[in-house]
Amino acid sequence: MLEVDRLEKRYGDTVALDGVSLSVGPGEMFGFVGANGAGKTTTMRIVMGVLAADGGEVRWKGEPAGFETRRRFGYMPEERGLYAKMRVREQVEYFGRIAGVDAATARRSADTLIERLGLGPRRDDHVDGLSLGNQQRVQLAVALIHQPEALVLDEPFSGLDPIAVDALADVLAERRAAGVPVVFSSHQLDLVERLCDSVGIIKAGRMVATGTVAELRARESRKLLRIVVAGAEPGWTDRLSGTILTKAEAPAGDRAGERVDDVVLAPADDQQALHVAVEAGRVQHFAWQEPSLAEIFREVVA
Amino acid sequence: MNAVLLVARREISVRGRTKGYRYGLLVTAVLVALLASLPALMGSGSEHTIGVAGAQADRLRAALTAQDTADADLTIQVKPYADEAAARAAVASDEVDAAVVDNATVVSKSVVGTGLSAILDTVHRAVAVEENLRAAGLDPARVGQAQQVRPLTEVTLHGSGEDATIRRVIAITIVVILFMLLIQICTWVAMGVVEEKGSRIVEILLTAVRPWQLLAGKTLGLGVLGLSQLLVIAGAGLAAAQLTGAVPRLPDGTYGVVAGAVGWFLLGYAFYAAMFAAIASLVSRQEELSGVLTPATMLLMASYLVGFVAAQEPDGTLTHVLSIVPPFSAMVMPVRSAVTEVPLWESALAAGAMLAAAAVVLFIGGRVYRRAVMRTGAKVRLREAFGMAS
Repeated sequence: MLEVDRLEKRYGDTVALDGVSLSVGPGEMFGFVGANGAGKTTTMRIVMGVLAADGGEVRWKGEPAGFETRRRFGYMPEERGLYAKMRVREQVEYFGRIAGVDAATARRSADTLIERLGLGPRRDDHVDGLSLGNQQRVQLAVALIHQPEALVLDEPFSGLDPIAVDALADVLAERRAAGVPVVFSSHQLDLVERLCDSVGIIKAGRMVATGTVAELRARESRKLLRIVVAGAEPGWTDRLSGTILTKAEAPAGDRAGERVDDVVLAPADDQQALHVAVEAGRVQHFAWQEPSLAEIFREVVA
Repeated sequence: MNAVLLVARREISVRGRTKGYRYGLLVTAVLVALLASLPALMGSGSEHTIGVAGAQADRLRAALTAQDTADADLTIQVKPYADEAAARAAVASDEVDAAVVDNATVVSKSVVGTGLSAILDTVHRAVAVEENLRAAGLDPARVGQAQQVRPLTEVTLHGSGEDATIRRVIAITIVVILFMLLIQICTWVAMGVVEEKGSRIVEILLTAVRPWQLLAGKTLGLGVLGLSQLLVIAGAGLAAAQLTGAVPRLPDGTYGVVAGAVGWFLLGYAFYAAMFAAIASLVSRQEELSGVLTPATMLLMASYLVGFVAAQEPDGTLTHVLSIVPPFSAMVMPVRSAVTEVPLWESALAAGAMLAAAAVVLFIGGRVYRRAVMRTGAKVRLREAFGMAS
């Protein structure tokens, strides 16, 4: 269990983190989302001990995490860092060695990882000769080489093509299955929704929502209504009370030329909305909307 | 394996396989080997072929041969000619360097060199005086005895003149090599620090190793490269001196001087490497590096220039003082020891002071490095790095 407990960080007068807490259990994948500058990277750097917190604590298995504990974590920093003039395999091996892996194991693990991440043909290339996507795979191999007990990955998916995303997701799933807690940040919310067991949303240095995707949905559900009405006169939506989030004119249904309105509404009164819809035309759909993570995110961060 | 050694090994393997390193080493080794052969080429003694003709030719010949055997550095070949015309022809065709005719005239193509001129003059006087004394009726045997003069024994306060020149050449070679190596290796240290800081490799490294381990490993690895470079260069120099037969001509204690220079390199390296690393950790980009390094480079440069002065004036007050004061001592003391005798206590004092200075710089530099290396972006001010600012 990786626990982050009420972290505080200030830069001069700027409050970067204001009591950030989260916890990730064994085999749990935690998606860390938030706008740019919200505090994701700062939190992760403090977790890795790269940055000192002004207050709060990072615990691993109930004990405050020290240097020796963090050596057994795998880390992928926000800005990628690799030696430009080292070969791929040599580099991955080196980072394994300094993380305390013996020479033979480091070599074997490096070969396996390089193969798994599709870098086989590139193993003896200098890193500066690789494409950005491939460099990122190397970076991931560096984070994984020492069979870390926990993974802290800052934007591991950014800049990857869909195939690389799948390869990375596979590798992470495998680690998770081995009982490793995984924390990663991302702006690709669909990906977070698909991969993560739990999600934390951070806004201006504060955690505004944490929980499983289902929990967040439950919290945010019964807030949005989706109404589809056919054959209504234009302008009927003006009579709806509440805020219209999206409004689309759907293509005709079974009757040619008939108008179909598809509206997502944050209603002030759901019964009033139902009346308006029934009066306006034939109601084809009227239901609470299951919010996507992106919608939840917009809602809590707004 | 220990983290420090792992870091050091990476530095050695990555830096050591660059072309710049290999070719640089090769070129320097060749240059030093050439320099080391110089004493052999310079002081190879002189060889003269002298023609004799006309009156007293036989006596001249005997006197010249006597000179040849008297001085090991001197080789004189004597060729007798039937008459002046034959002697002149021999000079014209470069068969001989000069010809003495009738023990009265020297024939040469152009002005006779001072060395040869002195020999000819001595021989000429000896033969002429002998002839005069005989003419005055003295017993030839006693004349011969009277001519037996023991040459002057040379006593020089600073070794022989030739020695002093060679010592100076050695001293200047040492100061040039020390300077080149120090500035090269310390710049590598600085560039390595910025590479890791600028690319954020430190973020990963420092989750696995401590800042001091990283810094120590880097300094150690590059130091080993520098030292091996120094040893190869020194080896090439001494080997070349051995092969060209210059070794007997090397002044006493040359090996000691070279060994001392290696020791001083290590002390100077510890001092400057820590300084360069700490300064480099303040910036995030290679372009900013030369700017911030200027004061440190200037200090090294100043030591270098003082080292040159010391080679010229080994007994000057400035040399004396700066050979003890760190960090100048790292360049001045090896030079001074190469040129003159340095009392042991002075060497020990200088080494102790330099060691202490290096320890202080290592301590402060390590502190600055630890604080600054994670702070990317704008240049970190020294005040902040020392932790004095709030």
